[in-house]
Amino acid sequence: MSGFLKIAIRNLLKGPTTDPYPFGDTFIPQKLRGKLKVDASECTACRTCEEVCPSGAIKITKNEGAYVHTTWYNTCCFCGNCEFFCPTGAIKLTTDFHTAHFQDEKYSFVTVAVIKETECKNCKTKFVPPSEALLKRAYNGIDIDLDELKLYCPECRKKIAFERLHLWLRH
Amino acid sequence: MSTKIPIGPFHIGLEEPIYFKIDLKGETVVNVDMINGFVHRGIEYLVMQKNFFQNLILTERVCALCSNNHPFTYVMAVEKIAGIEVSRRANYLRVVADEVKRVASHMFNLSMLAHLIGFHSLMTQTMEAREIMQDVKESIWGNRMDMSANTLSGVKYDLDEGQIEFILNKLDELEKQTDELIDIYFNNKLVKARTVNVGVLPKEDALRLGVTGPTARGSGVNNDVRVKAPYAAYDELKPTVMLEENGDVYSRMKVRWREVKESIRLIRKALNNLPEGPVVTQKRPHIPAGEAVTRTEAPRGELIYYLKTNGTQRPQRMRWRVPTYMNWEALRVMIPGNKLSDVAVIFNSIDPCISCTER
Repeated sequence: MSGFLKIAIRNLLKGPTTDPYPFGDTFIPQKLRGKLKVDASECTACRTCEEVCPSGAIKITKNEGAYVHTTWYNTCCFCGNCEFFCPTGAIKLTTDFHTAHFQDEKYSFVTVAVIKETECKNCKTKFVPPSEALLKRAYNGIDIDLDELKLYCPECRKKIAFERLHLWLRH
Repeated sequence: MSTKIPIGPFHIGLEEPIYFKIDLKGETVVNVDMINGFVHRGIEYLVMQKNFFQNLILTERVCALCSNNHPFTYVMAVEKIAGIEVSRRANYLRVVADEVKRVASHMFNLSMLAHLIGFHSLMTQTMEAREIMQDVKESIWGNRMDMSANTLSGVKYDLDEGQIEFILNKLDELEKQTDELIDIYFNNKLVKARTVNVGVLPKEDALRLGVTGPTARGSGVNNDVRVKAPYAAYDELKPTVMLEENGDVYSRMKVRWREVKESIRLIRKALNNLPEGPVVTQKRPHIPAGEAVTRTEAPRGELIYYLKTNGTQRPQRMRWRVPTYMNWEALRVMIPGNKLSDVAVIFNSIDPCISCTER
């Protein structure tokens, strides 16, 4: 028993090893996987997160003039798959682990991000413009041409880009 | 006169739901019958409904304590089918994650041993030491149990200088405490009285039953997959296999403690020789049709995955054989001849994981 006696006395002098949480501070590491933060300006509603989410907690629905990105914490398992596979880095897991809530809030305890559609400069159809993060990933640099082109819907963009190329080749 | 006693399926002395029908003569167990199937969750069917990326997380939820080995073996199977090369850095990082889990898993089992023999202060102290590893997991991977470290073609995390130093410091702290605890576990009278010559599994029986992991190594059978069929970075790191000859609970406990020390050495070696390179090569690779079988050494023993794909986004069939499936048959050899009060201790000594086995 002498071996353990040494540890016991040391523990007695050291005091409790548990944190006094919630009355005091507790250990929260920087990389803790907690609730989601979705940056709507970066998100392009590509549905990658919806596809890789193992528990089906993420749903992207189409509303009038906007896509709604909803994360339902009653099935979310905080695995971080959405953060890892997100092509634009719009989803970040925060260190907020406070997920206790009342039964009444079961369906409203969600994270919502609204991705607004914009009107095409040419044909006025609504579409989700590519976010800056996506453009940065796709092209080496964002120049004025790209800034202009992203205001058009995919159909018009094709047409305009082709016309430009045609003009440029003729000169 | 013989008495029949049921233990389980949900019993305070047992850590896992399994039902023992025990025939007693006096206080000695004459015969034991095991009935299982209480925690079936249908995961084998569920994996066929999910795509390859969702299954990274689902396989992790099969078992909490070897929650890194399941996705690890699964991604190895997928990579084998798709012919994906994993970078050396990713292989080293996979080993780091795996060994961290092994330390935590072994220490959990060892503290349960202390709990079952009634040495509760030793149990809390072991858990307290294990908490160092839990803190490492939480700080590096973000969760205390499910690390979500593996992904197809690599790992999801990367380590910078600060994080490597953090892990190394924590390992120093842990090693000091394990040395102290090992001294108590190996030499304490109370621990020895309850474990030496209890639940003996002779080497012949270990070979006959095909037991795996520390259960086999406690009986002197060397079948460590990390050495016999090296995967990831194990051929470069060269783990030492810990063998004991007696095959009792005490030997298996000794094997586990030595493996904890060995894992600490392996993590240090991997972190100090971490090669440069990318951690992921293809984030979302195409998985062609094919079949693969892979195996790894989970904390409990050999874990085998069989995967069949048909070119779609979902597996056509996935099946795994977990270590406990092989090990629990050995209980029929271990338990008879021992006292009734030792049944729970012997059961714990195979490090049972019923949630893996019945999934």
